Amino acid sequence: MSCLNDLLNNPLVYYQSVALMLLGLGFFGLIWRKSLVGMLISVELMLNGAGLAIVAASQLTRADAAMGQLAALLVMGLAAAEATLVLAITVVVARRFGHVESENISELRG
Amino acid sequence: MMDNLAIVAFLAYALTVLAGGILAVLARSLVRALAGLILTLFGVAGLYLLMSSPFLAFMQILIYVGAVGVIIFFAVMLTRPPAGAEEGEPRPFRQIVLATVSGLAPAALLGLACWKYRVEAGRVPADVSVSRLGEVLLGPYVLAFELISVVLFVAMAGAVVLGFERKREG
Repeated sequence: MSCLNDLLNNPLVYYQSVALMLLGLGFFGLIWRKSLVGMLISVELMLNGAGLAIVAASQLTRADAAMGQLAALLVMGLAAAEATLVLAITVVVARRFGHVESENISELRG
Repeated sequence: MMDNLAIVAFLAYALTVLAGGILAVLARSLVRALAGLILTLFGVAGLYLLMSSPFLAFMQILIYVGAVGVIIFFAVMLTRPPAGAEEGEPRPFRQIVLATVSGLAPAALLGLACWKYRVEAGRVPADVSVSRLGEVLLGPYVLAFELISVVLFVAMAGAVVLGFERKREG
């Protein structure tokens, strides 16, 4: 029972559970979605969860809060770069194959 | 009193994140999925505000909702599938199981790690001024700061090069 109390009094656990929820939803969507754009949306969900976990771990503990916030900012920058590249790749795939369904864009036979 | 308010705000933001995430993953039309993603991003921005990091919350809205949201919307528009073919068909049972397991397994594993090695956490988040953030960005993080500008430049240049690709014969 004291264990549960410990958990309920620890705000870090709340934020981490939201971040884990985002991670789980992102993985689920990555397998579930067929189009590349849907998979991109799922990856963005996961990256958001990562940023949330980093900020929570630095803001609520004795770690250096400024470094945690800036690490989340760097994650945001990487997510922006990744989204740009995926947009370009999706456009090329759509031009070449006429659709962006990940199961039907393989040209290798075997 | 303030404590209760904080709990209510946290629950509201967490529900926003959950609803947006489910919409983003399961919506049939990709435009609706994008709307769900944006809802999630706003919820996470609210959580950042709750952790007293307003700079990060506004950057979240500026970069994610502003830039990434528009980029994904462009991706949806430029690759519009034929009407009615937007992830509508029912899935085989195997795929449902696989997707659920792959979603739950990493989350459960990390949750177990968080539970086992939990640390003492204060109820009051640290307060960091924006000027301190700037000092850290140009002090310990200067290499990462410079590298991310290179990464962004390379990504933009690569996107432009890919966009110029012509269809080759053969």
